[in-house]
Amino acid sequence: MSSDGFHAQVVAILPKLRVQALALTRNRAAAEDLVQDAVCNALSASNSFIPGTNFAAWMHRILRNRFISNLRKRRDTTDIEDVPAHTFASEAPHEDRLALKELGAAMSRLPADQREALVMVVVHGMSYEDLAEATGCAVGTAKSRVFRARRQLEAWLLGESKDRSAIRLESRVRRSLAGDAHAGD
Amino acid sequence: MNHFSMTDRKDKAARRTIKQSRASDSAFDVWLNRGLHELFDDVVKEPVPAELLKIIEDDKKK
Repeated sequence: MSSDGFHAQVVAILPKLRVQALALTRNRAAAEDLVQDAVCNALSASNSFIPGTNFAAWMHRILRNRFISNLRKRRDTTDIEDVPAHTFASEAPHEDRLALKELGAAMSRLPADQREALVMVVVHGMSYEDLAEATGCAVGTAKSRVFRARRQLEAWLLGESKDRSAIRLESRVRRSLAGDAHAGD
Repeated sequence: MNHFSMTDRKDKAARRTIKQSRASDSAFDVWLNRGLHELFDDVVKEPVPAELLKIIEDDKKK
């Protein structure tokens, strides 16, 4: 692969790396630092990339390994409150913003590998096979991480405990979906 | 001799549960997918920091 082709692929994948980094770090500033570190690592290791193989998986693994390496050096205690504020912007009805905030908080409680897997499958539209290759695990493990993430979020948000906030959130989910059904009328 | 690690046994159990519960996406899963897109889609659309692009461009010139 020519140098131009390699560097072009790095630039093209940056948006997806930023999403992966945010899913892992749960903090906007840390995510930007992680992406920059991963890009520097990749540029330094460009000769180790085999042209014709899965560049995206190679790049995602570099970022993931950098995240793990950073974790070993320090403890990450930030939460997903640092997801951009405009995500909860005024376009969304008040109840939907509250529901998103609760989702964000629940996401931050997931193990990092489950959070990363769920985001890459849902937001990136990755297949389980691609996810497995990007995160260096078996396809079954990739599927399990996504499944466990979904079910854990459901348990937290819709209530193993069925406390007031869980009941309210469940109502919001149902109203939100009912609104979609009527929108098609 | 136990040939399977704890992680392998948990993965096998999870895969059986995935098969048993797979039907159409549940209402929660539909809502969750939408919520994740609302949380993360804007990040995908944001312009890449100029500093990062410069790092790549400088490396390309070497």
